[in-house]
Amino acid sequence: MVKDWKRWTAAAAATVVALGALAACGANSGSDDGDGTKITIFNSKSEIQSQLEELAESYGESHGVDVEVYYSNDTVAAHMATKYAANQPYTISMVDAKDVYSLGAEHAIDLSGEKWVSDTDQAISVNGKVLGFPVSVEARGLIYNADAIKKVTGKDFDPSTIKTTDDFKQIISDLKAGGMENPVGVMKEDWSLAAHYLPQVYEEQSDPAAFIKSLHDGADLNADARWTSLMDTFDVLKDNNYAQGDKAISAEREVTEQKLAKGEIAFMFGGNWDWAVLNQYEPSKNMGMMPVPQNDNSMDVQDKLVGGGSKYFFIDNSKNTSEAQQKAAKAFLNWLSEEKDGQEWVVNTAHLVSPFKSNKLEVADPLGKSVKKFADANKLINNYNYLPDDHYSVLGANFQKYLAGQEDRAALAGQIVDYWKANDMKTIQ
Amino acid sequence: MATQTVRDNSQENRKAVIRQRLAHGGMITALSLLLLAFIWPFFLVLTNAFKSMSDITGEPLSIIGSHGFSLKNFTSAMKKMHFWRVFGNSAVITVSATVLTILVSAMAAYVIVRNPKWTASKLAFSAMVASMVIPFQVLMVPLVSVYGGYLGVLNSRITLILMHVGFSVSLAVFMFHGAIKTNVPVELEEAAEIDGAGKWRTFWTVVFPLLKPTAATVAIIDAMAFWNDYLLPSLVLTNKKLYTIPIATQVFYGTYSTDIGLVMAALLLAMLPILILYLALQRFIVAGVTAGAVKG
Amino acid sequence: MKQNKLSYKVGQFLMFAGPAVVLFAAVVIVPFFYGLYLTFTSWDGVAKTKPFVGFQNYADAFADTAYWDALGRTVVYSVISVVLVNVVAFFLAYLVTSGLKGQNFFRAGFFIPNLIGGIVLGYVWKFVFNRAFVAIGTALTGQEGASLLGTTNGALFALILVSVWQYAGYMMLIYVAGFMGVDDSLKEAALIDGCTNGQAMRNVIIPLMRSSFVQCIFLSTTRCFMVYDLNLSLTKGEPFNTSVMAAMHVYNKAFVYKNYGVGQAEALILFIICAVIGMIQVYVGKKGEVEA
Repeated sequence: MVKDWKRWTAAAAATVVALGALAACGANSGSDDGDGTKITIFNSKSEIQSQLEELAESYGESHGVDVEVYYSNDTVAAHMATKYAANQPYTISMVDAKDVYSLGAEHAIDLSGEKWVSDTDQAISVNGKVLGFPVSVEARGLIYNADAIKKVTGKDFDPSTIKTTDDFKQIISDLKAGGMENPVGVMKEDWSLAAHYLPQVYEEQSDPAAFIKSLHDGADLNADARWTSLMDTFDVLKDNNYAQGDKAISAEREVTEQKLAKGEIAFMFGGNWDWAVLNQYEPSKNMGMMPVPQNDNSMDVQDKLVGGGSKYFFIDNSKNTSEAQQKAAKAFLNWLSEEKDGQEWVVNTAHLVSPFKSNKLEVADPLGKSVKKFADANKLINNYNYLPDDHYSVLGANFQKYLAGQEDRAALAGQIVDYWKANDMKTIQ
Repeated sequence: MATQTVRDNSQENRKAVIRQRLAHGGMITALSLLLLAFIWPFFLVLTNAFKSMSDITGEPLSIIGSHGFSLKNFTSAMKKMHFWRVFGNSAVITVSATVLTILVSAMAAYVIVRNPKWTASKLAFSAMVASMVIPFQVLMVPLVSVYGGYLGVLNSRITLILMHVGFSVSLAVFMFHGAIKTNVPVELEEAAEIDGAGKWRTFWTVVFPLLKPTAATVAIIDAMAFWNDYLLPSLVLTNKKLYTIPIATQVFYGTYSTDIGLVMAALLLAMLPILILYLALQRFIVAGVTAGAVKG
Repeated sequence: MKQNKLSYKVGQFLMFAGPAVVLFAAVVIVPFFYGLYLTFTSWDGVAKTKPFVGFQNYADAFADTAYWDALGRTVVYSVISVVLVNVVAFFLAYLVTSGLKGQNFFRAGFFIPNLIGGIVLGYVWKFVFNRAFVAIGTALTGQEGASLLGTTNGALFALILVSVWQYAGYMMLIYVAGFMGVDDSLKEAALIDGCTNGQAMRNVIIPLMRSSFVQCIFLSTTRCFMVYDLNLSLTKGEPFNTSVMAAMHVYNKAFVYKNYGVGQAEALILFIICAVIGMIQVYVGKKGEVEA
């Protein structure tokens, strides 16, 4: 009996000690050690993670701050939710435009006074305050492999000659005649179909929000010129896709990109971010991006890519981030946008297209080069950043059915209108 | 009568032995084929880990790619993930959490099985069984809110170890519960108690040794779960120096670029220790069974 | 007698079960109730305010047809997987405990699929389905075939195949422990009494392995019902969102579509369904238990 009690006390004591240790350890880790300021950066662009880590080291040494870079495989929103729930926000977080709108007002500091604000058109403001620092410019369009085209047709490829869907059909049939059986690759990913291709229907309207509201009220999408024009082109892409039917739905992105890099296909709808993948397959350097060809040229769509700022940094405004940290974070953003070393890192190390006008460095990758050219000439149609979060997933599934040939254009249009009819329109502005 | 049967049997036996040997051989062949099918995906991982990216996409089935055999994926994966550091973290966390889970769960299961009528036993056991079907995503945000937001105890290996134990006791108690019920005769304990041993000593000297096969099973299952777990460590550990293998390798597969070669190399590196552990424990299961057989 | 005193009972319980119960309550029960509270708010996951909305999230959950579709799909997937997993696992366990040469080697081999986690496993199998199977198909038929993952039924089949492949080895381990727990002398006695191997199996061994069956069926059912990692990495819900299982729908609802309260409410409904199924299994298992 006495022995039992002793054991009981021992077990209880062990539990208490363990829990005490748990509490003690946590308490220590919360505070910053040393006098050097420490800032943390959350990166949500996996392709620049290793470059950012190297930068953290070199920037930290030269500027006397301790910089740590983090990445998460989880959804950005989910990751942010856990970080804020745990009271451990990052000093600087890289998020998508829509996240700045949803998080910024409560969690981001006002950057309106920063030097770089006047140097870019891509910063995000909410309620008159600049909250989002644009990390890069990205644009969508048709990626072409000029070497592959020349090899088949025997002629130099000039993308500016392909303006209309009919022009595009012509070059496709030339390629086929030359022996390239399927000159196109279509990515089946829901984000490619319904977050990149479909939104062009909205973005190429003079007032996207008003257009979406008209769909919400039940307008006939099939009667819209933009829709018809873009879908006519999509049909050409779809019909000449190297993978047909069910195969189109299981086509892997890596395989499609490899085919494009190797010149087995000549065209793919995508964006300059695709270079990170293409580059792994010893691609020909003679590639580039061009606008999606369309027969209807209202809004000058034949000369423009669609895009703009992509990925935004915001600085945390909570008690967890000290003033010294905020200052260091602001200095880092300033360095990245305005100082020579920072500009060089963005362009030459991270291979991004800088959204800042003062950054005149030549972009090395061919897709980025195209985007830069269009951006400098003011030939970008703006992204529409207010789509509801489930838009790409719900309509992506429907678009996939269209791609697989399981439903027709009218059915897809009906589903899109139904989606908007059922939407609460809270995000639309 | 009796002698007659014995003679018939010896005749029959010889045929039976031959038949048995044939069946035995057939069974081994069938199992071997099945096993090959089972481990084929791993064979693919193994061969592709030594290939270049374009060979992996272009010729997934070849054993050596046309760009040749290369260790580059391994050296680069080891460097990028800080292999030795994360390996050490994973090992410390996995071993301590596994040992703790086995000890506290076996104890808890024992008191629950032997006192099924106590309210506390009923309550604890049903809560644990029910909790096994709670999707972790439900607890994720509340968990970090409580331990990060209110208590500030995240970012420590000890917190992670205790959380691992807390999440895995339910399954472990469940398994020990079944084992104690079926494999540990109450008579043995009563004998020990008549000899003057208290409950505590009876448990450790009589009951626990009989639970070795289950303990080994729990050890394997939990060690693997801890070793491979990504979500919980990623929520608890934010300091890079504390990272475990799964957190360190996740950067290899992003949304917009997946370096499959690196992933496969990292996979192999992460698998090896757990495979060795399994083979070691495997022997222990066999040993535990022989020990258990004495009881009959 | 001392054994009937409350203080004795409490002392005994805390001595043995105290550490386990405290840790369990700390990481499961406490967050669970906090999560329950969140289902009555319209919190989006990141905002500082958590407005109280009563049962609105539950009403939304019941009206969410995609959720019920996903649940129905999960039931189909789970039933098929559980049956196959347990049949395969039991036979594997039987074979590797029947005294074959190298049975330890086989036990280790069949368990290998469990050595890596669900996410990575999914990536490996995606590779197998999309590249290896297609490459083999192309070599055999001479024309490039489609991957199973491109069709609705194919994706479901793929999920089931990989689940069986993974869990069969896991459950085998529990059945092996069960076989080991059955006294050889009992089986021998049955054989001496004139039972055939099959009869001994049916009448002596299987009843004695009841707890293994209960454990395996319970475990495989709950794991299948809550499948997420594999779903995410193998099919990602594709094609056409027709392979989205319940847990994935819940996760997307809460974090991707930023409807945290509704997602949490749907997760709770999923939990209640799982709990009821699990309790029924355990209850049925207990009822028929061999009195030892």
